[in-house]
Amino acid sequence: MKRRVFLQSTGLFLAGAPYLLGQSNPARYRTALIGCGWWGKNILQEAAASRRCQITALCDVDANVLEIAADQVNTWSGDSPKTYRDHRELLEKEKPDIVIIATPDHWHALQTIDALKAGAHVFVEKPTGHTVNESRAMFKAARDSGRVVQVGLHRRIGPHHVSGMDFLRSGKVGDVGMVRLFAHSGGGRENPRPNSEPPNSMDWNQWCGPAPVRPFNGKLHPGGWRNFLDYANGTLGDWGVHWLDQVLWWTEEKYPKRIFCTGGRPISGTPVLNEKEQTTDAPDHQVATYEFEKFTCVWEHRKFAGNASEKHAIGAYFYGTKGVLHIGWRDGWTFYPSNDRDAQVREKSGLQEPDGHNLTLLWADFLNAIEQKRPAVASIDNAHRSSVLPLLGMISWRVGRSIEWDGDKETIINDPKANELLQRPYRSPWKYPEV
Amino acid sequence: MLMNPYPFPLPVRSRTLISILTVLASLTVFSRADDWPQWRGPNRDGVSQEQGWIDQFPNSGPPIAWKATVGLGFSSVVVGKGKAYTAGHANGSDTVFCFDALSGKELWKHSYPSELGDKFFEGGTTGSPTLAGDRLFWLSRWGDLYCYNANSGEIIWSRQIVKETQARVPSWGFSGAPTLYKNLLILNVGDAGMALEAATGKDVWKSGDGDAGYNTPLPVTRGEKVELWFANGEAYFSVEPETGKEKWRFKWLTQYGVNAADPIPYEDKAFVSSGYGKGAALFKIPATSDAEPEVIWKNRVLRTQLNGAVLVGKHLYGVDGDTTGRAELKCLEIETGKEAWAEPGFGTGGIIVADGKIIALAASGELMIAPVSPEGFKPTARAQVLGGKCWTAPVLANGLAYCRNSRGDLVAVDLRKN
Repeated sequence: MKRRVFLQSTGLFLAGAPYLLGQSNPARYRTALIGCGWWGKNILQEAAASRRCQITALCDVDANVLEIAADQVNTWSGDSPKTYRDHRELLEKEKPDIVIIATPDHWHALQTIDALKAGAHVFVEKPTGHTVNESRAMFKAARDSGRVVQVGLHRRIGPHHVSGMDFLRSGKVGDVGMVRLFAHSGGGRENPRPNSEPPNSMDWNQWCGPAPVRPFNGKLHPGGWRNFLDYANGTLGDWGVHWLDQVLWWTEEKYPKRIFCTGGRPISGTPVLNEKEQTTDAPDHQVATYEFEKFTCVWEHRKFAGNASEKHAIGAYFYGTKGVLHIGWRDGWTFYPSNDRDAQVREKSGLQEPDGHNLTLLWADFLNAIEQKRPAVASIDNAHRSSVLPLLGMISWRVGRSIEWDGDKETIINDPKANELLQRPYRSPWKYPEV
Repeated sequence: MLMNPYPFPLPVRSRTLISILTVLASLTVFSRADDWPQWRGPNRDGVSQEQGWIDQFPNSGPPIAWKATVGLGFSSVVVGKGKAYTAGHANGSDTVFCFDALSGKELWKHSYPSELGDKFFEGGTTGSPTLAGDRLFWLSRWGDLYCYNANSGEIIWSRQIVKETQARVPSWGFSGAPTLYKNLLILNVGDAGMALEAATGKDVWKSGDGDAGYNTPLPVTRGEKVELWFANGEAYFSVEPETGKEKWRFKWLTQYGVNAADPIPYEDKAFVSSGYGKGAALFKIPATSDAEPEVIWKNRVLRTQLNGAVLVGKHLYGVDGDTTGRAELKCLEIETGKEAWAEPGFGTGGIIVADGKIIALAASGELMIAPVSPEGFKPTARAQVLGGKCWTAPVLANGLAYCRNSRGDLVAVDLRKN
């Protein structure tokens, strides 16, 4: 651990002496990255810092992004990765041992399945799929391939999440009957932004891939696609999956029986999409209720008003008979005992900054899982079940009624219209993956 | 190399020249040297010619002449003819402000609806106004362009550049200030800038479709001619002011296309620097537009994400690193790229130079004054004048140092001797 910290903090100095990294390093995984944006490179830096990976290939739909990423990789590790515009060509020519997938959600399924079929272990970002049956197909492909899949749910391994979960399981919170998950921020009305041509170096058609093609807009790229429902599932998909995953990590139950979700855009306004301009279209607030056998779980997010009236803006409250446990982000975890004569218990977070994640630990677990031939901590089994929850919330929100979920058969009971939304049509020539 | 509006070489330091200066000042525009009418100052190099201000603070800190609240953003202050101008964002609108430069009395303001634009930061205005005579020019992140009567705030003309020209808005919006060159107003909009008639706002020339960079067009005199130096999403380049015809181009790819710092001319060369780990380079300007620039050196000692470095003699002073990391204030030799010193803990603040001293505003809001020296950064004065975060370089004009933070707290720190 100490060594890794040292390597990270001196990455630039090492860059001047890349030969150091090549020495006495027998097991090096040929590693490729698909999607060379901000988060993809956060993961790739872990691969470089681990000294157990040789970064051999990069893929992106933007030639400039590729060139910049290749230059950065060279400064981190001395590696000189080859660059590709199409992930299929990369897989065929490079035959990587490990593929990191950090594209927008609508690309996860096809790229994960292709990489697994090409024999690679896969680190893919959360949520697994954009629709439920994509996630099921990823799960099946992982099982068929026998390869390790780690999903970027780094809160499964973050130090204060692990200790918070230990505290919860120790019985000190008592019997938990309700969980409340939330992510609140400030915000207001959203103005449309004019559409424009994509960057000259970018293949926008390939970026859209199997999803519908929207006119290019600076709100969408880079990074803003999280709030466009063609490519992601808004805050519930982006943040919700992390906290819903904490609930499934804690409970012995495999899935909720009933889901109801409501929400809209009363503050940010009606979505705009025309030839000239557009806004995002994800809800500015949502409340989703997940009914389990032994407890109720509520998700809520709000992108207005902030959360000044409460102690925390983000995280999970576990309501037990002995008190309330809040597991948060940079604020670590806090236990508020029911009996106000008892002292509060706190634990600080131990996140990697500036982006507040736990990727070093998650990456180390991924490599160890490959070597020890065991499932990763955020395995496709766990992550598939967790990723399905926000996707089901979105289905309930779209159909405007509660849905009953059979998590064993992975179907919605007695609701053909809702079941149709477990998948969506792909844009030709892309084919929706088979479950 | 830089355009120098003054009829004699500056700076003038010796007291023996005072009588000559007094005569010259009455005949020339010397008094403008105390103003700061545009981004990076009168000569667009981050240097003011102002002298005779304090470089030590009393124990109680320097006096604050006035304070104002201007809204969210990073727009710097410009000062001329006794007025100070800046901009900020609040409640769905941008506002351009005019204050009395010495008293802080609000003289006029103008608001228009605008997007907060808080992608990966708190948003708000990022560009700066430009004062030219009795006109003030302002370009918003989303293409709202205004020409005001600088005295009254009356709108002389205005345009919505994006809607009218279909120009592509770069990821964080336009942030370069409009640049006045003769009768032309030059904008960093489009692949290689555009020019309008300053008097009317009518198009003179436009460039192709592409992502603009975030710097302010820089007029540079080379030989007999003036060129305009720009950054766009993938290069630094130069164009002819009258036609927009490209003279040379230096490919410079930076993450997210963020080439923000103004390039710095040095002899027959140009210095450029960008953040996100990119680094800096000094290259020889090619003779023709199809020739490859010759790179003298290129390294990662100075990675400028926001505020451009200041060149004094053969040394550059500027910030290395990004807002999300541990940015340092650094000094390096322009001819070799070698680091002379580094001052940790500075963050992505900004500096200017006046009278052989650095006036530095750290990201934390600490104002420091230190001699310009390649030997090290040794402040003679330090004071916490604002809360963070300050990503905007301070501005010195007529003895006041104007500092702002992202929330829009603006303070005029009084550096006058008595």
